[in-house]
Amino acid sequence: MEYTRRLPPTKTSDAPFSPVILEARQVRKSFGAVQALKGVSFDLRAGEVHALVGENGAGKSTLIKILTGALQPDAGELLLRGERIVDNTPAKARSLGIAVIYQQPALFPDLTVAENLALASESGTPWRRVDWRLRRETAAQLLATVGARLSPDARAGTLSMPEQQMVEIAKAIHANAQVLIMDEPTASLGDQDAANLFRLVSELRAKGTAIVYISHRFEELFLLANRVTVLRDGVSIQTCAMNDVTNADLIRLMVGRELDTVFPKHQTTLGDTAFEVRELSCRSLGVKNASLTIRRGEILGLAGLVGSGRTQLAEALFGLAPVDSGEVFLNGQPLKVNSPGDAVRAGLAYVPEDRRRHGVILELSIAANSTMASLGKISNASGFLNPATERQLANDSIATLGVKAPSADTLTKNLSGGNQQKVALARWLMTDPKVLILDEPTQGIDVGAKSEIYHLIGQLAARGLAILMISSETSEVLGLSDRVAVMSHGEIVGVLDRAEATPQLILEMALGHSE
Amino acid sequence: MKTNRQQEWILAAFILAEILLFSLTGRNFFSITNFFEVIRLSVELGLLALALTPVIVSGGIDLSVGSMMGLCTVTFGALWSDAHFSITVAIVAALLVSLVGGFLNAALISKLRVSPLIVTLGTFSLFRGMAEGITAGARNYSGFPASFLYLGQGYLGGIVPTQTILLVIAIAGFYLLLQRTVIGRGLYAIGHSSEGARYAAIPVASRLVLVYVLSGLAAGLAAIVYVAHLGQAKSDAGTGYELIAITAVVLGGTSIFGGSGTILGTCLGLAAIVVLQNGLRLSAWPTEVAGISTGTLLILTIAIERWVNQEKVRKTTPILQWSAVGAVALVAAFAVFHFRSSSAGLTNTSAGKRVTVAVMPKAKGDPYFISCKVGAEEAAASLNVDLIWDGPTGLDAAKQNELVQGWITRHVDAISVSVENAPGISTVLREARAQGIKVVTWDADAELDARDYFINQATAQSIGFTLTDEAARVMHNRGDFAIITGALSAANQNLWMSFMRQRLAEKYPDLKLVAVRPSDDDRDKAFAEAQTLMKVYPKVKMLVAISAPAVPGAGEAVRQSGRKDVQVIGLSLPNLCKPYVHGGEIEAVALWNTKDLGYLAVAAPAALARGTLQAGATSFHAGRLGNVEIKGSDIILGAPLLFRKDNIDQFNF
Amino acid sequence: MKLSLDREWPALAALVVLYIFLAIAAPNFYHFDNLRDLALANVSLLLVAAGMTLIIVIAQIDISVGSLFAVVSVAFGALIKAGLPLLLAPFAALLIGAALGAMNGALISYVRAPSIVVTLATMIVWRESLRWSTGGAWVEDLPKNFQWFGFGQHIGQAVIVSSALILFGVFWWASENVSAFRAIYATGSDAEAARLAGIPVKQVLFAVFVLMGALTGVAAVLNAVRFSDVPANSGMNLELKAIAAVVVGGTPITGGRGSLLGTFIGVLLLGSIAPALTFLGINPYWEKAIQGAIILATVLFDALRSHRERRLALA
Repeated sequence: MEYTRRLPPTKTSDAPFSPVILEARQVRKSFGAVQALKGVSFDLRAGEVHALVGENGAGKSTLIKILTGALQPDAGELLLRGERIVDNTPAKARSLGIAVIYQQPALFPDLTVAENLALASESGTPWRRVDWRLRRETAAQLLATVGARLSPDARAGTLSMPEQQMVEIAKAIHANAQVLIMDEPTASLGDQDAANLFRLVSELRAKGTAIVYISHRFEELFLLANRVTVLRDGVSIQTCAMNDVTNADLIRLMVGRELDTVFPKHQTTLGDTAFEVRELSCRSLGVKNASLTIRRGEILGLAGLVGSGRTQLAEALFGLAPVDSGEVFLNGQPLKVNSPGDAVRAGLAYVPEDRRRHGVILELSIAANSTMASLGKISNASGFLNPATERQLANDSIATLGVKAPSADTLTKNLSGGNQQKVALARWLMTDPKVLILDEPTQGIDVGAKSEIYHLIGQLAARGLAILMISSETSEVLGLSDRVAVMSHGEIVGVLDRAEATPQLILEMALGHSE
Repeated sequence: MKTNRQQEWILAAFILAEILLFSLTGRNFFSITNFFEVIRLSVELGLLALALTPVIVSGGIDLSVGSMMGLCTVTFGALWSDAHFSITVAIVAALLVSLVGGFLNAALISKLRVSPLIVTLGTFSLFRGMAEGITAGARNYSGFPASFLYLGQGYLGGIVPTQTILLVIAIAGFYLLLQRTVIGRGLYAIGHSSEGARYAAIPVASRLVLVYVLSGLAAGLAAIVYVAHLGQAKSDAGTGYELIAITAVVLGGTSIFGGSGTILGTCLGLAAIVVLQNGLRLSAWPTEVAGISTGTLLILTIAIERWVNQEKVRKTTPILQWSAVGAVALVAAFAVFHFRSSSAGLTNTSAGKRVTVAVMPKAKGDPYFISCKVGAEEAAASLNVDLIWDGPTGLDAAKQNELVQGWITRHVDAISVSVENAPGISTVLREARAQGIKVVTWDADAELDARDYFINQATAQSIGFTLTDEAARVMHNRGDFAIITGALSAANQNLWMSFMRQRLAEKYPDLKLVAVRPSDDDRDKAFAEAQTLMKVYPKVKMLVAISAPAVPGAGEAVRQSGRKDVQVIGLSLPNLCKPYVHGGEIEAVALWNTKDLGYLAVAAPAALARGTLQAGATSFHAGRLGNVEIKGSDIILGAPLLFRKDNIDQFNF
Repeated sequence: MKLSLDREWPALAALVVLYIFLAIAAPNFYHFDNLRDLALANVSLLLVAAGMTLIIVIAQIDISVGSLFAVVSVAFGALIKAGLPLLLAPFAALLIGAALGAMNGALISYVRAPSIVVTLATMIVWRESLRWSTGGAWVEDLPKNFQWFGFGQHIGQAVIVSSALILFGVFWWASENVSAFRAIYATGSDAEAARLAGIPVKQVLFAVFVLMGALTGVAAVLNAVRFSDVPANSGMNLELKAIAAVVVGGTPITGGRGSLLGTFIGVLLLGSIAPALTFLGINPYWEKAIQGAIILATVLFDALRSHRERRLALA
């Protein structure tokens, strides 16, 4: 399903004769026994947007880190305009004009926007005097260029995600980068900010900047990119013009096999209303008068722009913040949830958006993570743990969800993103919930794993769970949901049936245009 | 938790190495009695360290446990002694106080999300401050019934110290809680990521409340054991314990960042430290070496753990093998060093058979005792005595007991102590006598039946009276004066001050004591206090400083203020005060010949051990001092001296 | 330099309240003599707290400064007694302080051991080593020009206070305006981002501890020359006072932000308690309790404030 965002002016046609700015030849990198890159070659021309796609674990992040000097390759070389880059470091890469915008903005939360911008590009002896006036003026100019309405004196930690992303982009522009690498830049941007971004990318390209663009959102790539390189298992499979491939081609190259029906929609008979929310308000989180119902076996999609309050609604329902007014009913019975513990006991489960910080505890094993919300099941009446039961339940989960790991004792931090998400799911499924809230369940996960998770979700619905699925990927929402609720500015502005939901409609409602 | 296992093995190896070494170098180290003594000494620290383990595992820290001990100690003492509650009620009340304190920490840390380091830094000051405030720093409760003291000083079945039971229960309890229950699992999760734990429906706030309340409770229990063990309740109980407890926990492999750690590790860490201290003591190494070794051990442990955790190192380096090699090397080095340094010693048969005398000052760092040491060493050299000179670095009754205990194990021939706390130390001294060790006290006395003789340089009464009389003389019997004392809790000084007040009331109605300020035996602090006193009480014409470093401090303050109308007198060493005596700021310094005192502190016990001095004697020949008078069980040194401008240069100490 | 007082104002308010109280109840507190003596007594705390501010900004802690202070004091005296010219001795002391700080820095930065543990260990090792080697003896019989650098009391006092204030002022200015110091703030705010931005994080961390050692060395010198001999056990509890002053002054323990102005206020506040108690006739026994209560009050205040901030940000 395609949908359109505000489009930038058409991309310039391919320029096969523009010079190669950055080149990686036969780069290898291993982490212990794991070979992340097995001899990747990649070239980047001036004035092009070069898309880089691949499943998680294909080696994209590693390649980026090598290009920017955050990691050293084991073998192979990097060339800038034909000259070898020796001993690449972040500082050196910066000075050579290679800039990167990572998925997570890496700003200094306690420093001001002006200082953040300055630190990214200033150089000189460490003992020089800092010119604050110049810093502030420069910052003001840059912020205007990227269209961000921020004060240079604002502390970066107080900015929202999209605002931080804007500052990151300003950083890169300020650095006069010849090479700009963007890793999932629209991951936390709403449609309006994304449109802004596309405009900027086009402007930079027109100026001759070479841009590496990594994204799972193929629609963006088709709009922006000149060429695309597909990585798979540490090897670059194919590089070609963006116009020469289709969605299906890309998926096939990434996964190595045909993937049918990415969105398996199970047909389920829906039961009675299992979960009802009436006029829920949570001031501290910004949720206003939210109302919704979910039937047994139903998947209610929750769409909306970033910052519309969907995660906040989920957190309020799960007891992570105090509710100010409104009522919640589970299977007809009123429900008072003051803490996540209450929620779990009642039969709610919440798989959070931030997998690495909230979904799992990285330093713990799969076994410990998966049993963490069901400690009652692996302990006796006095609270003493039963290691045998724990192991058994953990192994069951691993098998059921298909987690790829050597054993239940493997530390979660050593798993790929997709497998980590499965562990997070395992944790909540072990609690035998009646209502499951999923928040961006496939964010940052490769296509293969996504498909598995969609299957799982379908199975859970078939088992009779009431599922609330928050997602920013419209195709995902439309593909899986029985109904779609749309949130905007902390309120639920409407609920659409599967049949009547279209991307445009959802977008309009999300933007706040009433119908 | 793989690295924890490694850490535990390394510690075990280290402890074995220690035991091996000290069995060779330490007298009677390797014995059942010593083993149980070491256990007795570990209980208070052990309780703190055990309770700190879940705190640190959860990602927090508690610096207030030592201060909480002080607060509970004085609560217990005050309720029993002043309010006449029964022992049981007083114990319950003290434990309640510890719970309240724990709740205070818990509330600030878990409800308000304030950094545990800062909160417990605040309560560290607050609890100790409250203890000092309640007792005015000075009260020392003692005289507890034998049935209570049995809890800390008695033996079960004749060999096992009573408080061992408590320690065993605590070890079992904390082990089960931390490593075998749902609660413990939650704590590890919180230690790794408290946000992650919250999202996993773990009741983070109540778990944190639990660990801090338990920590407070453990401190309360440790306080009760401390009082029973020592026989006294004072506001300075537990000073410095928090740092040793933290050291034990970290040594045991618990990460200070949280998320990992075991009770076994903590036990091993504590054992490593305690065995080290005990072994060094029995090998006649001074206490500083114990401190230095502990600190170095901590650094080495952390450094090795960090180095080992690097990816490339972990697989390739055989940790255990290297640790074993390292331990053996350390043992060998120590043994060689020890035997070489202890083989120096003259045998002078003319002075009688060689005896070992262990002499303990109240505080090794006090210049007064340092000058006594000179005399002691002189006596040891000329009288054919093996001298062990050791003591706590500051005033610390518990440490004094520990040291004496070690000397008993080592079976020295005689012990000579300047007593910080009479009731507390008398028990161990009695035990020493029961084992045939001669006991002499000097400078400050123990209970009468705990020692053979007391070397009395001057009674507290005569000191108090002399100072008052001299002050009165200088001030012509009228006017205001102030006292600068040492630490608020110093027993001697408090005794002198009570005699001074008595003398004032009896003889000098026109002389007024307007203020008493502590200096904590710190020259700089005495200086600042003296300055402030002169400004706040401009009518004060005399400062009486009764702590050795305080006198020159006060003198300097008077000099710098230009106040020619203010005089200082005090109790101090002539060398420290000479510039000010000549300058006129210090009118007179009272003292006795500390070198002679130190000399006697060795000569008398040596004579006792050799049998040349018996009970009931009226005099004895003390080396270069000639015949020394004995009155009853007091060996009289001589009259106190007043050092003034005209005679101070004759003395060099 | 920004002078918005949003973090420092509780400490400032407490200080003002205390001083008003003193003005009413004990006006002779404000005599020049007393204020001068107050300044002199807190010179060392001021410099140590300045260094401690940066340590906390870079999200570490240092509880070994008291022992470092003691070692450098004795070394300073001993060197002069051994004949080192008075002009060179302070620099030697500074170097010794820096070297000890480097020990901490190396273990924390390169071995990556946690700072609380490292400085706990060095605190014990240094103080005990000092005791063992000196036997507790004071450094006495120093040449006449040791005290006051030979300038005489009044000039010497002026030199000490002004040196400390100037040094503090330079430090304050540098922390806001010199790029190398800004790197400290960046590292404390987010060490990984700093690394990616090309800041040599390990060197910066190491340097902060060396700086702390050097500052403590200077503090030890400025304190030692107020007297004519050097005791063996100075600097007791200095680390606690310094940390308290920094925290009370509004610097958060989490790092990334710090205010030397706040530290200045904190030093003033905590340094004034003991004399204030005497001037107000309050029992000296309550000093520690009051100190503890001030620390707790500050953190309470701060916690309530950030609670409010968080809720406002979300609304």
